[in-house]
Amino acid sequence: MVTPSGQQTQADGKEVLLSVRNLSKSFGALKVVQDVSFELARGEVLGVLGPNGAGKTSLFNLISGDIAFDTGAITLSGTPLGREPSYRRAMRGIGRTYQIPRPYAKMTTFENLLVAARFAAGRSEREAYLSCAALLEDCGLAGKANLPAGGLTLLDRKRLELARALAGEPKLLLLDEIAGGLTEAEAGQLVSLIRQVRDRGITIIWIEHVLHAVMAVAERLLVLSFGEKIADGKPQEVIDNPDVRRIYMGIEA
Amino acid sequence: MTASTILVHRHTLSSRIAITVALLLLAAIPTMPFWASSGQIRLIIELSCLIAIAQMWNLLAGYGGMVSVGQQAFIGAGGYSLFVLSVYAGLNPFWSVPLAMILPALLAAPSYLLLRKLDGPYFAIGTWVLAEVFRLVTGNLQVVNAGSGMTLRAMGQFTAHQREIGLTILCALLLLITVGGTFLMLRSRLGLAMTAMRDDPVSAASQGVNVGRMRFGIYVVAAMGTGLAGAIYYMAQLRISPSSGFDPYWSSICIFIVMVGGIGRLEGPIVGALLYFTATRLFGHYGASYMIVLGLLTLLIALFSPGGLWGLFGKLRDWPWFPVGHRLEYRQRGDA
Repeated sequence: MVTPSGQQTQADGKEVLLSVRNLSKSFGALKVVQDVSFELARGEVLGVLGPNGAGKTSLFNLISGDIAFDTGAITLSGTPLGREPSYRRAMRGIGRTYQIPRPYAKMTTFENLLVAARFAAGRSEREAYLSCAALLEDCGLAGKANLPAGGLTLLDRKRLELARALAGEPKLLLLDEIAGGLTEAEAGQLVSLIRQVRDRGITIIWIEHVLHAVMAVAERLLVLSFGEKIADGKPQEVIDNPDVRRIYMGIEA
Repeated sequence: MTASTILVHRHTLSSRIAITVALLLLAAIPTMPFWASSGQIRLIIELSCLIAIAQMWNLLAGYGGMVSVGQQAFIGAGGYSLFVLSVYAGLNPFWSVPLAMILPALLAAPSYLLLRKLDGPYFAIGTWVLAEVFRLVTGNLQVVNAGSGMTLRAMGQFTAHQREIGLTILCALLLLITVGGTFLMLRSRLGLAMTAMRDDPVSAASQGVNVGRMRFGIYVVAAMGTGLAGAIYYMAQLRISPSSGFDPYWSSICIFIVMVGGIGRLEGPIVGALLYFTATRLFGHYGASYMIVLGLLTLLIALFSPGGLWGLFGKLRDWPWFPVGHRLEYRQRGDA
């Protein structure tokens, strides 16, 4: 296979989809993300852990372009994103969900998906109708297609966040605490949905406090504390890391 | 990947009826000079301008999220354009009306660049200041007769009947452009983006909507529509002055009509304009106490039915006039 010029490959020959280098962001004196670097291969699922306020959502906002970084670099498929606004990054294939769901409350569930399909994915009207209707079925929202999204239950809003991000046909999907606030059974349903997404070959970064949910899908974990990366590796190794046990789980090693 | 085929419905029975009735009413307006009294025609001209101006404000505030209290800037700019084109360029006033949209657009583009960094109340105050600047500048410009205003003498070449024919045709076109145009825009791909922005601009941006460019476009289009209505309104008045053309009262009317009718809905400004117009005809002579009642009504609706009268009606019956939504229907395939 010919690799288009400019695309990076990892040491093991896998194509690098996302590369984050020495990324930093401060709000005044508060350093929310400090010198964070990591690479993500196409198709990889990375779980991000860390105490509240560790900079996980800020890291997402920097990658999705919701906020601009101070120093460092973010590269998607070899293209530096620089100061590109979030709508351009969405069109490049970065899809995201929000920790607190942000549906278009007065639009129907179906229309919520149409926005992403027509704009982020750039689909025609006909293509968007078909792909969004199919996604609603896949995500268990077909029965609520014509209801205003503002009236959905929490589980359905979380499903909608996921379905809407997928309607944008992302290469990289950023999931922000999508299992948070759900019951065990509900979280289990979402996990199986996210597995299906992974099986389609979509690269995922998943911030989650529900550890067993993220462990069920992630092949790699990254831990942030006070904006700094303190661990990055295979899930079990990261969980056994003494720093992670002390800082994140509060267990003295 | 799924076992069903889908259908997407956009129209309903109520919308087919409403759109047919609306088109018939529009077609009826230009026939008025042949059967209606001059007084009735004046009322229709005023009502058309109110609906158009309110619909443009709804586009701006309801969809673009830009609450302006300075749309009188573009009413005045549209009105003055017409008078200047007629007085100085000697153009036929009727043909100058479409040209009256140019100046509002030219003023709106740089104005938006100044205002875009302002949010919420700061934006509103910014638009007000800008409108006051336009009023003060116009009031000191000798070319447009400064504070004493201008008269449209060129209308003297037409008989009263000819003027009425011209004005009623213009009113029908005004409504077709502002209401019909907004309807078509909202049903298109851009409308999907505008409706998404209305509900959550941050989400919209993360799904590929260029919110900044959309807002710029909405601001300029709203200025043009408002300017067109201003030109027609002051053509019917035959006179314009800085204190009338740039009167902040125009913005109060917009806010009342749209808030009471239903913000962020196409039907809202029409319902609101009909209510305001009827109420003003019936109770206007009570003066100050009438204004107090209108104010209280706005307050009550803002508190108890933020969706306005149209929102209240929508809760009882889902009978849209101008549907811009999509209703999805799954149909199981007959075969395996």
